Amino acid sequence: MSIIVGYVPSNVGEAAVAAAIKEASLRDEQLLIVNSSREGSLVDKNTASEEDLARVLDAALSAGVKAQVIESTYRDDLTEEFLGLADKHQVSLIVIGLRQRSQVGKFIMGSQAQRILLQAEHPVLAVKAS
Amino acid sequence: MEFFGPVLDGFNVVLDPTNLLYCLLGVVVGMLIGVLPGLGPAATIAILLPMTYGVEPVTAIIMLAGIFYGAQYGGTITSVLLRLPGEASSVVTVFDGYVMAKQGRAGAALGIAAIGSFFGATVSIIGLTFLAPLVASFALDFGPPEYTALAMLGILLVATISGGTKIKAIIAAAAGLFLATIGRDGFTGAERFTFGNLSLADGIDFVPIAMGLFGLGEILYNLEERHRAATAPVKVSNVWPKGKDIKEASGAIGRGSVLGFFLGILPGGGATIASLASYAMEKKTAKDPSRFGRGAIEGVAGPESANNAAATSSFIPLLTLGIPANATMAIIFGALLIQGITPGPQLINDDPQLFWGVVNSMYIGNILLLIMSIPLIGVFVKILRVRAAILAPITALITMLGAYTIRNSMFDVLLVVLFGAIGYLMKKFGFEPGPLVLAFVLGSLLESNLRRSLLVLEGDPTGFFTRPISATLLVLFVFVAIWPVIKSAIDKRKTSSTTSAVVADKEKENA
Amino acid sequence: MDAKHSRQDSKEQATSAQPAEQVQEAEALTPDELAAQWEAEAAEPAGPIANLLSSLVVLGLSIAGMVLSVGLGLGTPAAPAAGMWPFVISLIAAVMAVAQIIIGRAGGRDGEKFSAMSWYAAIGFATLILMVVLMPVIGFEIPSLLLCFVWMRWLGGERWRSATIYSILIVAAFYAIFIAALGTTIPRLF
Repeated sequence: MSIIVGYVPSNVGEAAVAAAIKEASLRDEQLLIVNSSREGSLVDKNTASEEDLARVLDAALSAGVKAQVIESTYRDDLTEEFLGLADKHQVSLIVIGLRQRSQVGKFIMGSQAQRILLQAEHPVLAVKAS
Repeated sequence: MEFFGPVLDGFNVVLDPTNLLYCLLGVVVGMLIGVLPGLGPAATIAILLPMTYGVEPVTAIIMLAGIFYGAQYGGTITSVLLRLPGEASSVVTVFDGYVMAKQGRAGAALGIAAIGSFFGATVSIIGLTFLAPLVASFALDFGPPEYTALAMLGILLVATISGGTKIKAIIAAAAGLFLATIGRDGFTGAERFTFGNLSLADGIDFVPIAMGLFGLGEILYNLEERHRAATAPVKVSNVWPKGKDIKEASGAIGRGSVLGFFLGILPGGGATIASLASYAMEKKTAKDPSRFGRGAIEGVAGPESANNAAATSSFIPLLTLGIPANATMAIIFGALLIQGITPGPQLINDDPQLFWGVVNSMYIGNILLLIMSIPLIGVFVKILRVRAAILAPITALITMLGAYTIRNSMFDVLLVVLFGAIGYLMKKFGFEPGPLVLAFVLGSLLESNLRRSLLVLEGDPTGFFTRPISATLLVLFVFVAIWPVIKSAIDKRKTSSTTSAVVADKEKENA
Repeated sequence: MDAKHSRQDSKEQATSAQPAEQVQEAEALTPDELAAQWEAEAAEPAGPIANLLSSLVVLGLSIAGMVLSVGLGLGTPAAPAAGMWPFVISLIAAVMAVAQIIIGRAGGRDGEKFSAMSWYAAIGFATLILMVVLMPVIGFEIPSLLLCFVWMRWLGGERWRSATIYSILIVAAFYAIFIAALGTTIPRLF
């Protein structure tokens, strides 16, 4: 069994990974760190650089957790891509970060976190930035 | 000071605030569109051609020059920041530019590219100022046979030098020549290939062809090609190159500028070949060639100076002979024709103000580019974040509505769409649109001169060889035409398969 | 949503003791490696069938060109008629097409194979044609809106909401620029 965590290079993403590392070492399970980048644009602030990925992988490894980075791409639906990965690896826990967003912002942009919470068939741990 | 009088007058024209404003607008819009993947200078100018309508000729050309330089630099930006060359002429910039960006010297790379471009263009413009009147006065003696030979040579060179299969390039050129014959025949008045369609009676306009093949064709092609994952944001710090950088790069800039100037004059030459040659030269002359590919600033400075120098000096054959040297110049040629200006040897004497206005506008365009490029890099990095899904319909709509505004004709828009499909299919089947557009532009010039020469020579084609200039040009033509055959024979004799593999690889790289 | 849109080509980076080194390896590319990588990423060449087909199309068109040119009258070299020059061009194209059929029969390395994604270009073309047909009838606003929406939602993979909002914004911007600011005579509804 393993734990999957969605990582984006931001406070929220770092908090999610930190919580996931803690949980993985507690449960003694493998950690899957997912960074999924969107197709279509050349640059996306949610895409983690090689350095970022190496750093979080290092943090996990130094905490004594077996960890793996998964870089994937999605076209229009991050939620589906992420949950698909969770199913494929038959995870025991999904860890995601929650960010503050106004009602209007949520209406226009939608909320990936909300959809993951509602649609996931695995237990979900939602983390806020400290 | 007799010679410099008109040159200085040209500066007065350019420094007019309206013209400066249009130049600025051109540089900015050119950079914005040039940054978009797949849209090189030719496509950018083609899409933005309608913007220059209804503007004074000088102003329109100044704006085009701005668009041209802006688009050129836009390709450099993506090369350095994302390892995605926007066009063929900035491919080599990727090698060292991207490594520099990775080392946190993106600013130095982009800055030196802007300085090098400026310097290269300056060298070329000075060269142009002295060379253009000479070439033009020489060309004043040209008669129909000389023009026939020159146009044929120009088309053939563009067809054979372009990447890809030579035979297919020649087919594309033939298609361009054929399209140029549609409409009323200037000699006999007969209607050719119009099929009774009134919209075709005046022939096909150049603009829909250029906008379709280069603009919409590229946009359609990108619809299927853009499924590439986003990359992490690029940090651009330390924006100005340091004194040490400039010192290191100065030799490369100087060599690249001179090399680019000469390669740009040759028909079929231009920015791409110049940048490749400059990179090779820098690597050869460097004390420590192993630095190249690992962030050597000369590897950015040389090619960037060379491609801009070449882009500028390729205006010489266009403005003095009326023969565009490459596809981008073909589009500018078309734009000039639309403005009622026929580039040729008479231009410099008939309308010196215009001629020198055009030349000096390039200079101003480059100064503006130098001033604008560095502060605006933050903006470009933001543009790169906009998804292609949103940019694609915007560029498509600009093209469609722009095409309509030219003559308020829906038929033109239809032509743009049809040529867009043709451009897409040509790309899929390995035909270059460049030779087609160039041949189309030169088509009527070639035909009328050929027929006039045949009238003069009383139908005897050997008469071309009795005139020294046309004879030389035609010998050159024959040599270029059969050169691939000779070359493949030589290659066959060299049985070592490795060399040919390397050459083949290089050719692919250049394409 | 539509499953075919979410391609699952996840690249998995195996656990490694020194991940930093791996990163270094991936980034420091020499020009030759880069050229090789581009070549690997590039689409497959069009292949022999495409070569044959395109050459045959060129051959057919050039023969048609020759026939039409003869119809216009060729004249003599000293006094060429309207059909002479197009005839010569068509002849060159025909010869070149035959040469290409023979030389390129192995396929060559140019062109690109059509892929499932090529449908996107076809749909894009269809929407453009539709726009040309509709624009004179109902003005540019609705066709533009449709074009934006189709290109964003189905060809671009935007979500419903963002596609709707961006399409409306873009058309409004075009209206403001082309109609309100520049005063062009593009056929319009409002």
